[in-house]
Amino acid sequence: MANTGWDEFEIGAMLRTFEGSVDNIAGTLQEDRNYTQNSSFSANVSDWRIIKPVFNKDYCIDCQFCWIYCPDISIIARDKKMVGVDMDHCKGCGICVEVCPTNPKSLLMFDEHIDEEVALAGWPTKEGKK
Amino acid sequence: MAFDKMELRDIEVWDGNFAAAQALRQCQIDVVAAYPITPSTPIVEGYAKFLADGYVEGEFVMVESEHAAMSGCIGASAAGGRVATATSSQGYALMVETLYQASGMRLPIILNVVNRALASPLNVNGDHSDMYLGRDSGWIQLNAYCPQDAYDLNFIAFKVAENHEVRLPCMVHQDGFMTSHTAQGVKTLTDDAAYGFVGDFKAMNDMLDFEHPVTHGVQTEEDWHFEHKARQHSDLMTKVMPKIQDAFDAFEKLSGRKYNIVEKYDIDDADVCVVCMGTSVETAREVATEMRAKGIKAGVVGLRVIRPFPFFEIQEALKGVKAIATLDRSSPNGAPGMLFNEVAGCLFNLDKRPLLSGKIYGLGGRDLTKKHLVDLYTELQANVDAGKVTTQLQQFIGVRGPKLSFL
Amino acid sequence: MSEMKNIKNLKEFSTSADRFEGANLLCPGCAHSIIVREVLNATNDDLVLSASTGCLEVCTAVYPYTSWDASWIHIGFENGSTAVAGAEAMYKALKTKGRLKQPDRNPKFVSFAGDGASYDIGFQWISGCMERGHNIMHVVLDNEVYANTGGQRSSSTPIGSSTTTAPSGRKSYGEKKNKKDMVSIMASHHIPYSAQVAPNKWKDMVKKIQYGFSVDGPVFINAVSPCTTEWKFDPKDTMLLTDLATDSLVFPLYEIIDGHELNITYRPKNVVPVEEYLAAQGRFKHLFKDEYKYLITEWQERVDAKWAMLQRREEARV
Repeated sequence: MANTGWDEFEIGAMLRTFEGSVDNIAGTLQEDRNYTQNSSFSANVSDWRIIKPVFNKDYCIDCQFCWIYCPDISIIARDKKMVGVDMDHCKGCGICVEVCPTNPKSLLMFDEHIDEEVALAGWPTKEGKK
Repeated sequence: MAFDKMELRDIEVWDGNFAAAQALRQCQIDVVAAYPITPSTPIVEGYAKFLADGYVEGEFVMVESEHAAMSGCIGASAAGGRVATATSSQGYALMVETLYQASGMRLPIILNVVNRALASPLNVNGDHSDMYLGRDSGWIQLNAYCPQDAYDLNFIAFKVAENHEVRLPCMVHQDGFMTSHTAQGVKTLTDDAAYGFVGDFKAMNDMLDFEHPVTHGVQTEEDWHFEHKARQHSDLMTKVMPKIQDAFDAFEKLSGRKYNIVEKYDIDDADVCVVCMGTSVETAREVATEMRAKGIKAGVVGLRVIRPFPFFEIQEALKGVKAIATLDRSSPNGAPGMLFNEVAGCLFNLDKRPLLSGKIYGLGGRDLTKKHLVDLYTELQANVDAGKVTTQLQQFIGVRGPKLSFL
Repeated sequence: MSEMKNIKNLKEFSTSADRFEGANLLCPGCAHSIIVREVLNATNDDLVLSASTGCLEVCTAVYPYTSWDASWIHIGFENGSTAVAGAEAMYKALKTKGRLKQPDRNPKFVSFAGDGASYDIGFQWISGCMERGHNIMHVVLDNEVYANTGGQRSSSTPIGSSTTTAPSGRKSYGEKKNKKDMVSIMASHHIPYSAQVAPNKWKDMVKKIQYGFSVDGPVFINAVSPCTTEWKFDPKDTMLLTDLATDSLVFPLYEIIDGHELNITYRPKNVVPVEEYLAAQGRFKHLFKDEYKYLITEWQERVDAKWAMLQRREEARV
């Protein structure tokens, strides 16, 4: 839309989230929705991050704490399982790591530029009770 | 439909408020959100009573302020239906924030404004201070001179505002008390004819269409704001007048009553002319006729449409006139006056410019008498004879104390 | 009546398809969107939403983007509640007149606003909406400060908090007045439901939101929303702060049904000293100087007194 002129807008600065007609959005997962370019779902805030969460499914118990407490709809939960992190929308706040109850944690924050395989290879082992 | 139609006589004796209330009933408004204020209150009381008696179906939301009244109207209009309310003066002033929001969101709300002075000092009587306060708010503004106009212009307002090429809110102005509380004969339309004229409400970008979710009222900063304001202004400048003219034409066919964007009276051969609004137009017409009997070729130009401003129509109407006075019924507080400025803008680039002066009159309900207008036309003729404005450019009419004039 | 969404546990809740999108402009770690998600995911019904001017609004509808998957409107700072009330009135009118495009739906009308937009500038509009009995829910995202304009005090700002307009300094400990009790004020409108919620206690929140959606009439929800920027804590600690808020009883979780029946809905097993809650936030840092420490004692006494009052009201059943 960068070069859109004044005569090309919808009047009233109105925005549509979806292309065409939708039915039962509350029952339609993101991957099955037909978002417009005006939905912030189509946007990307990954450049906000300086640290990123890495998910280690080996320790995950699918408790979904990370899903419920993620402010950025970036924890992908499907069929009651934690699937991964939506790195287009994650801002790197680190809440998911803080609320992760496993030992060792199934999510940890790493430098944005670290390779995921490197991060997983150096995953800590179970911590003793403090 | 679960409401009763009302049998009206061909001519009813209604004041401007009741005429507007009847028009709202006949347009079958879906939601009225309103707050009482003198002198407009009887309009929304009328709707409430029609609702209570089963002559209309809808929701009347009696809110806690005029700001909330327009806020509720905006929410209701964005939800997708026919919406109207009424206000005056301080209530209008409280609404101003939301007036801009309604027009920026392109919501076709109809606001009946029964014009009244603005405090301080507090005053409940008619002048055009409130009308002027909203003149840059992006609304269409129509001007009634009498109860008949107040009735008819409401139908015009809905017809134009709700048109999908327009989608702008519209005010119908009438003078506080002089029109709103003065009962006159009003020629009516039948309920069917009236509703048939405005037609069913056609929703657009409606929030209650759950298959097409919509976001209204976004934020735009320096990267987008200008384009949206430009679009709104462009639509006001190019799309609205033709639709108003179409509506006037269709209304004339239906009712036999002819409205014009600029109401010209004896202007074709006029040497002198006043430009005014509201009930003063009718007084000026009467005096102009009397002046012609005295040999002064007097005319009157009344604004029927205030916004968008009828620049070319005014220019066309006034180009042959020799001396013109604009009548502003609002204290300009340090400026020449809205009508003076706008009319001067119309005339400035003409090859042969008429002489222009501005009058401030009628503040807080002070009468504009025929004597005032006789003196005014006589003065304008003196300007014509002298070939220049013989007085100061801005004069106050009807104020006590020494003559007050400036510029 | 629409069927209430069945949410037995978090795994089941996690099958919800969010109707609020990421890549909004809220700060990393902002609790606002956690609250919004919990509210919206509590139902599968259609939604008509509004936001009053504030962080949530300016971060989720900045042209050309919207983060909302349901119809949404913003008018101004003070009138978000009246915006959805107007939409609700139109819904009723069109239902009566048989003109709804999808007449079989059961839309929920929800207005989101910050504490500034609710406790202060929008107070009259909300009071009007509550009094008139619109079928709407007003949710306050209560971060106890004008965060969107950069941290000025509101009437929700608690004593001792340092804000830009009530800053702490050599001669001041910051905010001098105690927080306005909006839950009680709104309950005094004799509305069917008024409650305080916190996003960490998601089950309590969902239960309350669902109850709110099930009643006929206006509902007021006050949600504590820790603000990483203005409360001054690390973004990763948002839920830690929320836990401290509820478990110190600074934000007790309770509900008031029909304006009088008060129920405490969460009793912490281990009550945390208020001091720990204060110590976790930069906005209270100055209270730990010797000359202001008495304020921490007063804080604890105030929280204890409020908790005792809530318990007495709950027992009294009046």
